[in-house]
Parts: sequence; C-alpha cells; structure tokens
Amino acid sequence: MIDTMYQLGTLDSAKAFLASLLIGIAFGFFLERAGFGSSRKLTGVFYFKDMAVIKVMFTAVITAALGLTCCVVLGVVSVEGVYLMPTVYGAYIVGGLIFGVGFVMSGWCPGTATAGVASGKIDALIFLAGAIVGSAIFNEMFGLIKPLYESGQRGVVFVYDTLGIGKGTFNVLLSVAAVVMFWGCEWIERRKTGRSLGANNTILKTLSVAVLAMAVVLVAVGSALPSSQQPGATAGLISSESQLLEAVEMAQDHIEPEELADMMLRQEPGLVVVDVRPVVEYMHYHLPNALNIQIKDVHQALLPYKNIGTIVLYSNGMTHPVQARDSLYRSGYMNAYILTDGLNGFIEKCLTPVSLRDEILPKETADKIRSWRAFFLGLSTPQERPDAIDEPQSGNLLVDAEWLERQLDRGETKILDLRAQPEYNTSHIRISLALNVENLRMNLDGVGSMLQPGEMLARHLSAMGIRPDDNIVIVYGDKTHDATLVGIALERLGHTSYKILNGGFSAWKSANKAVVSELPEITSSSYAVSGTDNFSVDYRTVLEYVRSRKGLILDVRPADYYNGSKSDEARAGHIPGAINRPYTEDLVKVNEVPQFKPIEELANAYAKIVPSKDSTVVVHCRTGHQASQTFFVLKRLLGYGNVLWYDAGWSQWAARKELPVE
Amino acid sequence: MRGADMENQDISKDRYMNPYLAGIGLGLTLLVSFLVLGAGLGASSGLARIAACTELCIAEAHTLSSEYFGKWGRTPMQYYLVFMLAGTFIGGLCSALLANRMKLQIERGRRSSVRLRSAFALIGGILVGFASRLAQGCTSGQALSGTALLLTGSFVFLICIFVGGYATAQLFRRQWND
Repeated sequence: MIDTMYQLGTLDSAKAFLASLLIGIAFGFFLERAGFGSSRKLTGVFYFKDMAVIKVMFTAVITAALGLTCCVVLGVVSVEGVYLMPTVYGAYIVGGLIFGVGFVMSGWCPGTATAGVASGKIDALIFLAGAIVGSAIFNEMFGLIKPLYESGQRGVVFVYDTLGIGKGTFNVLLSVAAVVMFWGCEWIERRKTGRSLGANNTILKTLSVAVLAMAVVLVAVGSALPSSQQPGATAGLISSESQLLEAVEMAQDHIEPEELADMMLRQEPGLVVVDVRPVVEYMHYHLPNALNIQIKDVHQALLPYKNIGTIVLYSNGMTHPVQARDSLYRSGYMNAYILTDGLNGFIEKCLTPVSLRDEILPKETADKIRSWRAFFLGLSTPQERPDAIDEPQSGNLLVDAEWLERQLDRGETKILDLRAQPEYNTSHIRISLALNVENLRMNLDGVGSMLQPGEMLARHLSAMGIRPDDNIVIVYGDKTHDATLVGIALERLGHTSYKILNGGFSAWKSANKAVVSELPEITSSSYAVSGTDNFSVDYRTVLEYVRSRKGLILDVRPADYYNGSKSDEARAGHIPGAINRPYTEDLVKVNEVPQFKPIEELANAYAKIVPSKDSTVVVHCRTGHQASQTFFVLKRLLGYGNVLWYDAGWSQWAARKELPVE
Repeated sequence: MRGADMENQDISKDRYMNPYLAGIGLGLTLLVSFLVLGAGLGASSGLARIAACTELCIAEAHTLSSEYFGKWGRTPMQYYLVFMLAGTFIGGLCSALLANRMKLQIERGRRSSVRLRSAFALIGGILVGFASRLAQGCTSGQALSGTALLLTGSFVFLICIFVGGYATAQLFRRQWND
C-alpha cells in the first residue's frame, strides 16, 4: 500500500514541492493540449459552440474516479490517504454561482488561465491579476464573510451517501451520465457547427464501452469484498458488532486516569494520546504530547497508528471519545481506548494537590500524586495549565479578620501585606510579608507595567519563602485591585489557593486585632516554575474576538475613558463592541476603604451583562491592574468558566494604529 | 486575415488534441496526484498564496494579523500548490511551443474592443479569485479533483458554476462578436 505525502504529513517537504511541480507540468501540458489555453474555446461551452470543456472535464473526472476506486479495491492506496475536502453547502453554492459568472465573463479559470499565459494570452494575465486581487479582497473581508464561509458545514460527505445509494451504483450512474453527456455534446456540436465526429467517433465509442464496462466490473468486485474500502485490514473484524458490545460491557475499552498517568510518566512506547476537544480548549491545556484531532478527522489522522501501540482518546467528559472509539472500532481499530471520566476525571484523580483532598491519603499515594503533578504541571510547556485545578471556590475566597486570626499559627498560611513600606514597618499583622505590587510588573514587548513572566514571579515567591502548597492571604491597603493583581500573579503560577482579606488592613484594625512591628524570619524556598498561564491574551486574540463577535469584551475603565471624553493614551475611545463595566461598580466603601460587594449582588449584576457562565469574556482596562479585579470577581467569586485577561489593555490597543477603535 | 483563419480553425478543425484523449491524460495526472501527494490538483490556492505574499510586502503587520492570510505566516509561498501552479505554467508553455501556438494576443471577437475584453477579464478574475477562496477551491481543486473523489460539496460547486455561467452567458457574449 502506498503512503501518500498527505498521509505522511510531508506535503511541505522539498520532495512534495518537486512532485507538485512535475504533476503541475503534466496538468498544464494537457490543459493546453486540450485547447484550454484559449478563452474563446473555453467559453464555447456556454454558447453551445464548442463542448470541449465538458468532454475533457468529465473524461478526466471519470478516469480519475474509476482509477482511484480501482486502486482502493486493489489495496494500492486507502481512501484515508487522500485529503478529502469538507462540504460547506452555503459557501459552495454562493461560491459556485459567483465563480460561474466570473468564468463566463472572463473566459478563464485559474488553471486554464495559467496555461493561457503560457501560450501568450494577455487577457489570461489580466485575469490572473484579477484573481490575485479577488483573493486579497476575500482576505480583507473575511470578518464579514466568515458566517457564509462556514454556513452549512457538513464535514466530509460523499455524494453517494447524500443520495443514499451505494458507491458502486453511483459509479455506474456517473459513468452512464458521462457517456450520455459525451454523445449529447457531439450531437450539439454537429447541429451548431455541422462538424462531423470523424476520428472522434472511434475514440468516443471505445471510451464509452470502456467506462461502462469498468464501472460494472467495479460494482461486481466491490460487492464480492466484505468492505470495498479497506479489504485487507478489516475482514473479519467488523463482522461482529457483538464483539464491540462485549468489550464495552467488560469495560475493556476504558483506561483509568491513574493508569494513563503512569504510562505517560514512564513514557510508554507506542502510546498515542489524542485530545478530541476543540483547538481553543486544547491550546488552554492538554496532556503532554497529546495530539489534537477533531472527531471528524480521527479516522484519517489515526491511520498510521491503526493497531499499532495504544491509542487513548480523551475530551473533558466521555461522550465524544466514546463515539469516536466505537466508530474506530467498527473500522477495525482494535487499539483505541477512552480515558475514564475524561480530562476532568484525570485532573481530579491525578492532579488535585494532596492538600486540597478531602480524604487522607496513604503516603505512597500522596507521593505518586506529587510525582504526577510535577510531571504534568511542572514540566509542561508554556501555556499549559489545567482548567479544572482552577475550580472556583467562591464564597470563602473573601475572608474576614476573625478567620485570618485563626490561621496565624498554621504553618501553611502566608500573609502578604500590600501597603506602602512605612505603613507596614510601623505596624502589621504577625507573620505577614511586605510586597509592593509594582515589583510584580515590568516592561514587556514595549508595553510598560505588564505582569512578569512566571519565572520571575516564582523568584519573588521563592525569596519570600512561599511554597506551592501554601495558603496565601492577601491584605491590601486602599486598593482591592492591588490584591487581585497579586492574585492573578499567583494564578499565572497555577497557585489558586489564595484568599483576600475583604476590607484590607483597615478591616483588621477595626476588628482590633493584634499588630506587631517586628519583621518576620524567612527561609527562602525554591518555588517551581511552570511557564505561563491560560488566561492572558494578547491583542491578536482580542482582535479575533472583535472580528468573530464570539466573545464579550469587558472594558472596566471609568466610563469617561470608555466613551473617549477623557484619554491618557495615544487614542481615545474603546475596542469596537466592548461593553463598559467600571471596576468600581463591584466595590463598596466601608470606612473609606473599598471592599467587594456581596456576592449575590455581583452575581445579579453580571448575569445581566454576560450571557452565560460559559461565555468567553475578555476583561481589560488601561494597564491590566483594574481588570485583574474584574477577572477575580468573574472567575473566582462568580465561577465564570472562560475569563480572559488582556493585560496590555488600552495602553497597547490605543498605540497600535492598525487596531480598530470605536 | 491570418488571425481570423486561426480562430476559425480553433473551433472548426481539430488542431487540438482529441478532447477525450486529453481528458484521459488529465484524469491520469489527477490520479497520480492522488496517489503521490494524497491530494488533488489545484490552481487558485497558488494565486491566493501570491496574493498573501504581495500583501505581506505591502503591509506586513496587517497581513500577519489578518484572520485568513495571517495563518499562512511569513512564508505563504512555501506551499505545494504554489509549485504546482509554476508547473502548470511550464507544462502549458511546453505544449504551446511544441504545437507552435505561442502567440502574444488579447483573445477576443473581431468586432470587440481590447478595452471591453480586458475589463471583462479583470472583473471576471476578481470574481473568480474571491469565489475560489469562498468555496475553498476552483475548477481544478473542487470541480475536477473533488468530483473525482465523489465529494458532495464539489458536485454542488460544479453544478452552481454551470448555473451561474449559463444564466449570465448572454451578458458577456459581445466580447466574442466577429
């Protein structure tokens, strides 16, 4: 069996380029031979003067279609080895109609015009220039056209399935139609031009007989084989649906999270882990080295691993992988498994920190979990952090002075005091550490005050003796968004066990709790670095959301900055489509110090703004500081699932003149 | 006139290859493409890549941040269909030279103006370039390769080309008036 370059993934190699060049040469040669280097001859078909287009085209289609079917039946190549274009009804209908008008108007199509230029046709050159311009126009208008471009998507669909007939039958019908069309074309030409068939006659007769005979033979051969598509591999395997059900019954089709974790840890040879979730989710987090393959593509993409090694399919849950596995099984894949309880189960079973578990674990299990966490979280590449670890724990994220006081002597609690250094040094909560939030920011890619990369943040935490398992309580001075900026810095490191003293240091004082002026003793730690986060986005991503209108952009700056009446930046206004919800609306002042409004009130307010808890929300302000607060409110307090943070915010957007402003 | 004779000959006399033989040649080329590349023939993609390359030269940041061309990155020309397009030109050139058909001209009816024919070629080209992107292929990639693979979408596209073409053919007929 031939492995095509598409199958091998080498279509971008020099060898493929050379092969394409040679195939192109044959293509151009036959186009010109057929007379398709002449627009006059090409358009003849539309005026019933010269039917060569139909004759050549259908001969080519029928030759290639029957030829390919032959190759598949003979086992030379598999259907999966050829790239199959998806069917998109809306786009293809509109595209076809426009194409037809352009074709008859210009007398050219891209391939024939290239042959036309080669034979000296200046109009073909003009056409090609137009087609290049047309492509660029499409690119520029893509935002507008996208709904049409994607309308009526059906995935890969074969016409015989659409018609509900067998492939063999369709081949026969197509052959008959082609032969009828050929004779029809000859008849039309004879009537219009009085030209006789001449030498054509013998060739046409031979072709007609050959095509029909071939189609019939293919039907006969096809029905003799158990499966016309994959004769070799599948005979006998498909035979029993009951085998499949039996395997399901015995749960042989599952693989447990712990088992997979161990296999991946010891880098089991032949293990192929497949993430069938949408690309966006895959980008957020995936298991190390997992392939991202959409359900509809699994057959084609997994062919190289068919019955070689172990294929494990996973999604967040189990429904899709189960369907994919069953479908693969029916096509003879005996080595496809599904991950029990999906990624969610995996994270719960293997990656949830020992400290967050309800049950008390034997030391052996605890050690194992630590090694999994180190492998799956610690060594994962940047941009990979699991969502589920971020489970919202709303409610108890905002703590009061009484609660905090009780924690002071528990070893795993660290307190960060964000007030100015003199205030801290005169009086602070025992064991609290001073932290200036501006120390967590820096100039990145020309944008000032960006949150530092994980490596640098980890160094700050190490110097303060903080460990990944520590519970952190943040005590702010007069800005809640200072606390949330520290919070988002911790989130970047995957450190979600933090809480905020609602009301800040002032709440502690007014509760008459003890303060000290001694500085704490610190033993520095080495906080493990784990790349970056899954919630920070750059302007490109925001621009995509602006264009696709699929996400909600929340501008949390004061209203006069949003509407452009005030501006501290290169341009005034806001990102097109952005909704304004000033961060201050989430706060209430107690003794002149802001604190978070009651959660129910916040929940009601955001329920009116954000369509659902799964909606994608991009929050931004000017520099990312205030937006960190809205991020905290949405993601942590209210449990919104897809909250993204555009740190560079308006200061970058306004300065990049190519970005649209409203 | 010598030119007129040639044009008459184009239509009336078989100076070109027998269409069925040419069709078989094309079909076998397509089959080889399926077997070797694992993908059919294509032409409009090559043009789109040239468009992306041109846009990159003019406005790099804009092109890279655009949703459609942007995903092709900084080197859109490193794509197999660009090479196939180059091959198509070379193959066409060989055939034209062998048949002594190489002649610099704007092909049109004798009573039609260069300006009209050029305008139709340009506007038609823009429509075709646009439509090819929308339908993810042109007569080569969809109508020829896709139908040979018996794909529903490609048949729909092919039928719509003829519907669009026949519906408007009379509007553009005068460019061929002799």
